[in-house]
Amino acid sequence: MAKKVLNVEDDPDIRTFVTTVLEENGFIPIMAKDGEEGTKKVREEKPDLIILDILMPKESGIKMYHELKRNPSLKDIPVVMLSGVAKRTFLRSQVALTEFGDETVPEPEAYLEKPVEAEDLAEILKKILG
Amino acid sequence: MSKLLIIDDEEGIRKVLSLSLASDGYEVITASGGEEGIDKFKNESPPVVLTDIKMPGIDGIEVLKQVKESNPDAEVIMITGHGDMDLAIEALKLDASDFLNKPIKDEALSVALKRAEQRIAIREKLKAYTDDLENMVSIATEEVKRRSEFQNKLITSSNDAIIATDEKGAVVIYNQGAEKIFGYPRSEIIRKMNIYQLYPPAIVSEFRAGLEKRDGVDLSNWREVSVVTKKGEDVPTRFSGSILYGDDEVVGSVGFFQDLREIKRLQEELIKSERLAATGQTVAGLAHYIKNILNGLKGGTYVLNVALDRKNTDKIKSGWAMLERNVERISDLVLDLLAYSKDRRPEPENCFPNEIIQEVCTLMEAKAGEHDIEVKRNLDPLLAEVFLDPKALHRSLLNLVSNAIDACIFDSTAKKKWQVTVSTVIEKNNIIRFQVADNGTGMDTKTKEKLFSSLFSTKGERGTGLGLLVTEKIVKENGGEITVESELGKGTTFTIYLPYQEVQKSANVR
Repeated sequence: MAKKVLNVEDDPDIRTFVTTVLEENGFIPIMAKDGEEGTKKVREEKPDLIILDILMPKESGIKMYHELKRNPSLKDIPVVMLSGVAKRTFLRSQVALTEFGDETVPEPEAYLEKPVEAEDLAEILKKILG
Repeated sequence: MSKLLIIDDEEGIRKVLSLSLASDGYEVITASGGEEGIDKFKNESPPVVLTDIKMPGIDGIEVLKQVKESNPDAEVIMITGHGDMDLAIEALKLDASDFLNKPIKDEALSVALKRAEQRIAIREKLKAYTDDLENMVSIATEEVKRRSEFQNKLITSSNDAIIATDEKGAVVIYNQGAEKIFGYPRSEIIRKMNIYQLYPPAIVSEFRAGLEKRDGVDLSNWREVSVVTKKGEDVPTRFSGSILYGDDEVVGSVGFFQDLREIKRLQEELIKSERLAATGQTVAGLAHYIKNILNGLKGGTYVLNVALDRKNTDKIKSGWAMLERNVERISDLVLDLLAYSKDRRPEPENCFPNEIIQEVCTLMEAKAGEHDIEVKRNLDPLLAEVFLDPKALHRSLLNLVSNAIDACIFDSTAKKKWQVTVSTVIEKNNIIRFQVADNGTGMDTKTKEKLFSSLFSTKGERGTGLGLLVTEKIVKENGGEITVESELGKGTTFTIYLPYQEVQKSANVR
């Protein structure tokens, strides 16, 4: 059965691009335009993988990632970060959240910095979802 | 030992007195008549003279006169007989020291001599004291001179201009610093010019009022004034002054000027280097922004290729839309860059500002709708057709509305009814007030300060920081003004005041 991939992304261009890559590689694309909508769709659709942007209006990817990984029923969904923010900066932000008393969360399954080539994205997805 | 001259025509008296006084320790000189007495006085200069008042030839009064003439300090004691009262009074007038009545008693004589000696002693003390006083005065004068020279040197060597005047405003002190700033040599200024000719008009009236002793003149606060030099150049200075009083009367004025040319030059250099630094940041920011557009274009071609392979019309449309959107972003960027770097002359024409606002709102409503943001219009119905630059208005308002929508999108407050309100108001003096208000994120003071100062964006990779700079530039080119009020978490209001002219009859008036 085709696997569902949720893309949380505020840039409509990248949503179109990711949708196309997903379809081309046999996945079912689900789209959300911000963290708030993303969190809702995770619960509704139970995706097999999440592609997450970081800088978004309303709920940011930093917060959404942290919450996903701390939720027992959701923490096993693999997450691929796709962002213009460098990986180092993202990891530091996660450490920063633990300083407010939150528990440490594991690193994401993959980290892609924008811009990403269609082939690179497809390869990562296939590797994680087997 | 003290000398004493006795003048008497009676030999008996001379002998008795001589013996008595010599035994008292005086060196006694005697003379038998006025003429001899005066000669002896001149030769021996005794401090004390005893003279009979009535003598043949030159009498005592004449002796007294001549003695006093040759030495006013000499003590002259008159020896008077019975009935010489009139002569005695005359002698008093001529400054005789004392009188002894005949027959002379020893006691009276010694009292008179003692008094005479005391007077001499006092006079000597007085003289010594006067001499000392003169000495003190000359020391004090020297000190005053030294201090005044010191102050003179202070004034002369001061790098700041110091200019002092008399009560009429004529210049009496004009130092090197003043020469450097004003460019006139001292010789052309001192006693030849007054400050009303020299000072800039901005402070002339105050000095005039001060010297004429009118109330309310306070020159003491430092302020910046521009001074005109001999060559007619403007020199920026920092100025402070004072009206000088002596015993409640105006005696003159003084002005201090500090040359600000070097400071101004450094300030300009600083601004220039800041601009260079800003340009550097801008290039980095722009490169990032352009890279994003390129990614969009690249993604678009990928989507289009896939769509063409699959002959998927929907996908062709969305791929095509991606390309279009990014081409649009590039063209906006280029327009902004051109608008920012080039001077654009306003191109006013007859137009309806309210209609332009409607266009802008309609254009932005699609994006606003996606994020549940309401765009409200509050347009002044009295604002009819006017003569102004419609493109300038369109571009500025579009930028502001777009910013306002972004401020709402980025507001992380969970539940809020986001609104962007665009209003127009006709003001006095042919000015229209355009206002774009949002209830989005708002700005802190630090962000607000940076708004118009450099290319600066809060939108990360989504913004170039050009928008507001371009808006400000356009507004200023059109003689308008732009202001901002903002509170973090509450929202932001931008206001543009734009002047307009009445509708022009001819269609092609520029």
